[in-house]
Amino acid sequence: MPQFDTQFFSSLLFWEWVSFGILLLILYKYAFPWILENLDARERKIRETIEAAERQRAEAERRMAEYDAKMRSAQKEAEEMIAQAKVRAQQMMEENERRMSAEAERIKANAAREIEQERRTALEEVRRYAGELGLRVAERVLERSLTDADHKRLADEALTAVAKDFEKS
Amino acid sequence: MESNPLHPFELHPYGSLSLFGLDISPNKAVVMMWIIIVLASSLLIIAARQQRIVPTRLQSLAEILVEFIRNMIMDTMGEKGMKFFPFVATLFVFILFCNILGLIPGSYTVTSQIVVTAAFALFVYSMSIVVGFVLHGIKFLGILMPAGTPVLLLPLMVPIELVSQLARPLSLAVRLFANMTAGHTILAVLFGMVVSIPLIAAPLAVKIGLLILMVVLVVGRRRVIAATGTWGLVGMCILIPVILTVIWSRWLPFAFSIAINGLEVGIAFIQAYIFTILTCVYLGDAITLHGHAEGAH
Repeated sequence: MPQFDTQFFSSLLFWEWVSFGILLLILYKYAFPWILENLDARERKIRETIEAAERQRAEAERRMAEYDAKMRSAQKEAEEMIAQAKVRAQQMMEENERRMSAEAERIKANAAREIEQERRTALEEVRRYAGELGLRVAERVLERSLTDADHKRLADEALTAVAKDFEKS
Repeated sequence: MESNPLHPFELHPYGSLSLFGLDISPNKAVVMMWIIIVLASSLLIIAARQQRIVPTRLQSLAEILVEFIRNMIMDTMGEKGMKFFPFVATLFVFILFCNILGLIPGSYTVTSQIVVTAAFALFVYSMSIVVGFVLHGIKFLGILMPAGTPVLLLPLMVPIELVSQLARPLSLAVRLFANMTAGHTILAVLFGMVVSIPLIAAPLAVKIGLLILMVVLVVGRRRVIAATGTWGLVGMCILIPVILTVIWSRWLPFAFSIAINGLEVGIAFIQAYIFTILTCVYLGDAITLHGHAEGAH
């Protein structure tokens, strides 16, 4: 086999080590550190990004929960307010009703009192008028034969009689 | 085309050069090494300078390579082994480029020279021995006694381990050399066949055509003619030898050579990997003193 031809061994060995050495030196100096650093940088970056995302997610979740709680309490408050408003409206309605009926009562009572007063006044009027009327009738009948004292007595008698009749009727 | 399949491995000195009486005349293999230095270092440096978070293709490739070797070292040697990273990585790159570039027609496979692989193997093995003694002193001899061996078995185990140790550099050197040589020899043989086969293929095909004709005539002429018609029979007797001639001519070995070439690309990678991982395993043994690791033979 040509590979066992010792003629080329020295040259091959020499150049093998020289080439390998040069390649090792070049890669060691100019390639591997950069690539390794690159890999580390990417790893760092990815880890940082993931961590940041994790943090943000937790934060978002916390806020969400916060808003949820707020929302729920607001809803409860609103419901309470509505219930209170309903109760108050009910109360006001009842109050109004009571007041109106009281007012009506009062108006009715007033009216009755006024009517009563009117009736009394009218009665008084009638009585006075009837007395005068009787007196005049009696004057015509008796033609001044009576004294003033007689007048008064007769009038009173007549009035009492009339009043009695009136009260009977 | 030469008929000798070992012809591709022959070297011829380009001029003559000597250093302190040592013959260092360049030849095809040496020129290949120069090309490999330039190619490997420029590719990796270009890749290394593209420091992007989202990598370019070349950068990705270089990073995969580095990551691959780093994992290899971490698996076999642990964190302490990262001191050897530049050496191991350069070894892998060098051997890989030797193997792959050797597949280009007209180039030379440096690793098909036993002296090259042997030099690497011996260096790696001596390095593992030196590292072992430096780290563990005389205790490093314990590598000859696998942990948990009964005392009675020691007289048997120590020689066996000694042989296995001595076989390490030998197998390392021969494995790479033999794989590279065998693949190229097969390719050479196939290409040789591309040239030589047509000389015997045509007469053989004509004989087969006549044989078919005879068989058809003896066995069932009527049936065959009924099925194919007269012209079908004649056509069959002409067409089949023609097809066989074509198939048996240069196309078949040529097609094989394509397939084998694909296989060779795989082997180029695998052998570079095996050489490197065994380097790591041997160094790992020396560092951790765990006796022999699996896959070491």
